[in-house]
Amino acid sequence: MAFQVTIGNTGATIACSGDQRILHAAVGAGVDYPYGCATGNCAACISELRAGEVSMLPYSDNALSEVQRTEGKILACRAQPLSDVEVIWLGRGRK
Amino acid sequence: MSKRRTQACETLLRRARTIVDAEGTGEAALAKIKDLLVRLANRGEALFPRGAFAMPVAQGRNHVLALEGGDGMGLYLTIGLPGKEAAPHDHGIWCVNAAISGHEVHKFYRRTDDAARDGYATVEAVGEVMVAPGQGMAMGDHAIHATEVLGDVPAIGLALYGYALARFPSVVWFHSEFTSVRAMPSRRAA
Repeated sequence: MAFQVTIGNTGATIACSGDQRILHAAVGAGVDYPYGCATGNCAACISELRAGEVSMLPYSDNALSEVQRTEGKILACRAQPLSDVEVIWLGRGRK
Repeated sequence: MSKRRTQACETLLRRARTIVDAEGTGEAALAKIKDLLVRLANRGEALFPRGAFAMPVAQGRNHVLALEGGDGMGLYLTIGLPGKEAAPHDHGIWCVNAAISGHEVHKFYRRTDDAARDGYATVEAVGEVMVAPGQGMAMGDHAIHATEVLGDVPAIGLALYGYALARFPSVVWFHSEFTSVRAMPSRRAA
């Protein structure tokens, strides 16, 4: 099932299936979403989940703390949508 | 940390330093260090009891075991839960791993483009090693590897790096699905 992902930084809305990661859907759609490892280790893609729900694939403790998670932060490279969502990336992006 | 564990870890660092100072960090030298690390990891629960190291809150966590002074080597106990992975990356410095329990596959890659385009890279797989109890792996400076914890139990192991994690020169990540490369800045000045 495909969900709509709105990326607040650019205003773009893209399609992302429930088994796809938000980062991968965004990059595939041509969005210059910031990322580094893309596997839950570096936190370059740390984002705020402004609306909707996601599930998270495995990631490192030092990439996203429990406190950050409860504050609504996610790693876009590990997040799979469970509904339509809105996210905003918090990193600086690529230099 | 128990005195016995501290002594064993510091002894490992001293022996590794002796090898590096005498032989450098070529394949033969790193193989000797790997053998030392495998022997240390083989002491298992007796030296590294599960209860002494907090499990990850998420799925991956490192515990410092011993650090050299003078910007030197770092020895860690690493814990990865099933499914924990890392994309192909070059962390700039050699490392050696040995398993205490569980299975972690290390896949090795070679960059195949000419690095002429900013942010663009292609890599190809050139081999893999399963790090499981009794086994380890060694890789030199600027080798590219990816990791994944396989099976349904945590992969717990020892990792020795040429620099402490917080002092890595940089980490460069490769993504075949994006044909991209991304360099994470050094934290050495931090």
